[in-house]
Order: sequence, then structure tokens, then C-alpha cells
Amino acid sequence: MAAARLLQAGVPRFRCLGSLGKAAPSTSQLSSRLFGTLLAPEANQQVDPTVIRRKLITEPLRHPDFFNVKELFSLKELFDARVHLGHKKGCRHRFMEPYIFGCRLDQDIIDLDQTMKHLQLALNFTAHVAYRKGIILFINRNRQFGHLVEVTARDCGEYAHTRYWQGGLLTNAHVQYGSGIRLPDLLIFISTLNNVFEPHVAIRDAAKMNIPTVGVVDTNCNPSIITYPVPGNDDSPLAVELYCKLFKMTITRAKNKRKQMEALYGLQNKADSS
Amino acid sequence: MATPSWGRAASRSRAWQLLGAARRGSSHGTGDSPATGVSPPEPEKRPSSRTGAQQVHSKNVESFASMLRHSPLVQMGPAKDKIVLGQIFHIVEDDLYIDFGGKFHCVCNRPEVDGEKYQKGSRVRLRLVDLELTSRFLGAKTDTTLLEADAVLLGLLESREIRQKE
Repeated sequence: MAAARLLQAGVPRFRCLGSLGKAAPSTSQLSSRLFGTLLAPEANQQVDPTVIRRKLITEPLRHPDFFNVKELFSLKELFDARVHLGHKKGCRHRFMEPYIFGCRLDQDIIDLDQTMKHLQLALNFTAHVAYRKGIILFINRNRQFGHLVEVTARDCGEYAHTRYWQGGLLTNAHVQYGSGIRLPDLLIFISTLNNVFEPHVAIRDAAKMNIPTVGVVDTNCNPSIITYPVPGNDDSPLAVELYCKLFKMTITRAKNKRKQMEALYGLQNKADSS
Repeated sequence: MATPSWGRAASRSRAWQLLGAARRGSSHGTGDSPATGVSPPEPEKRPSSRTGAQQVHSKNVESFASMLRHSPLVQMGPAKDKIVLGQIFHIVEDDLYIDFGGKFHCVCNRPEVDGEKYQKGSRVRLRLVDLELTSRFLGAKTDTTLLEADAVLLGLLESREIRQKE
């Protein structure tokens, strides 16, 4: 691809092949034997974009916590935001039992040690999606926090859906909105239940469309098909404010990191070519 | 109230313990803690040095089990007939939405006595009935929850009262 571009620029064939370097190693060796040290330095900048893009994307994947999301929250913060409080014993969902620390006077207590691990995984994944310029959609059907979630989404430059979910929003998007529509790359559920205490339709639809989901699951929710469940309280205002703050900070941090890395690689590239 | 005087005094001291620990616990958080204007001396220390399940860190990090055990909610015991302090965070005409530090808030009617003094941010005294109103109906697999706690409004918090910690 780069070779074709250079050919179109009208540079003599052997000289431009000599300057390609990594793209065509065998031809460059041949040309250097033929033409000695003849190289075209200004062609380097056009060669590197694919290499830069590949490095930009693979570099964060080498580290387990590239964006350092662990420092964004602590056990004490989660505890003070009442994240460990669950519903009563009778409301418990069977699949939440592994995440429950115990039951105190009929009220379930969620194990915050597990929550810490799950929250770190979820935030790390969100950061990676935001770094790669993915579209994130916040979903919450709890009317008490609808406005807060919408404001959070607006502040980090992403999207929110806190109203009635029409049937074919994800699965029938090409018919409802026209072809070529881009679906979200990540769904974040601040509460996975809808107004009638049933699992939100978007969980199932996202699984059908291969869209990963991150969701805060309370003791009465079903965590089965959510990609990154975070066991925690989704009914107290303090807890929901904490989640919104954490997601907003992660997404902004990831986007800033992306700008940083692009600038860094741009500078490196200029330093290499000059 | 037909409770004997020792019962009332005991519940009062317990209420203050609840406040002290809650205030300390949520001191960094966003203003919804049921703390008082008068600060009683801290009744419970956090003995991070003597708990079993201790994480090894340079600073004393408490484990979740230890934090839970010393939290006001657990120290309070059964919620029935406990006196707590709450803060009004929302008002809809005559309904006051009061947060007292539990998972849910409670909704109380505006009393006739001193009705206008109950505004957003006022601190009030409550007697808890239940932390979450749930009930299993016939033919249902799980409980139906109202997402609300139940409490009786006793009155505004009198800030001029200074109580000694017993």
C-alpha cells in the first residue's frame, strides 16, 4: 500500500523501494547493493502510520493495568458509599450467591473484596475501549438516577439511554435507523433491572449482537450474561454517584492517554526521520 | 413511649454511637451522613492492629470484615425501634424523603407541629421500623420490594442539647 502511494508520487522505483525499509526487506537489500547509500528521507513519514497505529493499539495491551485504574478507588471509599449493602434475603437471586459475603438480620451483604477485583477488571476494560475510540452507552432505568447518568455520559463525551428501551434498538438497528449505523462498542449498566424488576432487555440484546457489557449487579439481579459484572449496591445515591464518578474518570483518563500516546508517537516518528 | 427509662437511655447512647461512627465513617463523602452539630467523643476505635484478616500494607489498611463488624449498621443490631438521625434530601409537598445512612431512604409525612421548619437539609430524629419494606406475595418466586425503609418521624434535631457520652 505504501509502495503504491510512493509510486504515484513519481519517485523512481528503486530509490523509493530502498527507503521502505521494514515494508519490503528483500527489495531494499537489492537496491542498496545497486545504488549504495541513495535514500529518500522525506518518504519515511508516509511509511509509518500503519506501524504507529499498530504500536498505539498493542502497547496498552502489554500491561495488566496500563491506565492504573486501581488507584481510582479504595475499599474504604466503596464501604463508605454503602456499596456492600444488598437487598433482603427473600429478594436474593440464586446466581448472586457467590458474590454475597453473608446475610445479617435478613439483609444480604455483598463481599467487597470480590467487588474490588471485579470493579478493577471492569474499569480496565472500559478504559481500553475508550482508548480505542469505542462508543460507550450508559444504561439505567432507575428513575432516581436517570439525570445523573445522563450528565455523567455528557461530561465524558459518551452516550446514555435512560428511557424506555424499544424492542429493536440494537437487534433491528439497520431497519430502524438505516444501514451503515454504528452500534455501541460497550454498554455500561448502572442498574441492570428495569422498572418492573426484570433484567433489562439490552443485556440480552447486547449478548446477541456481540457487544460486551459492564454492569453493576445487586443481590436481586442476574449476573449471568453480563461480560464484566460488578457486584454492588445500585439503589443508594452515594453508591451510584461513586460509580458514575469512577466511570467518568476512567473514560476521561483513557481518552487523554490516547492523545498523549498519539503525540508521543508523532514526536518519535519525527525524531526518527530527521 | 411506654419503654422503661433505662431502655430509653440505652437507645439514646446507642444512637450517639451510631452518629459518631457514621460521621467518622462518611466524613469524606458527599454530605448525606446523619451526623449531628454537636460532636460526641468517638466511642469506637478502629483496632486495625488486632484484627485477624489483615492486609499487609505500609499503612494500616482495614479488612472488609473488620470494617463491616465495626460499622454502625451492624453494631446497631435489629433495626426495630432504634433511634437514628436522618437528613431530609428531597421534599414533595407534604412528603419528606429522609436518608439515615441505610441502603434506602424513608418517606415520612410532614408533621403538624413546626411543619415549615422541615426543609431540604434539616436533620431529624427517626425511630426505625424496618430497613427495607419487602414482602412475599402469593405465587411469587421472590419478594416484592418497595425500595424504601420505614421509620417514624420523632421531630427535628435540637442542636442546643449537649449530651455527654456515657
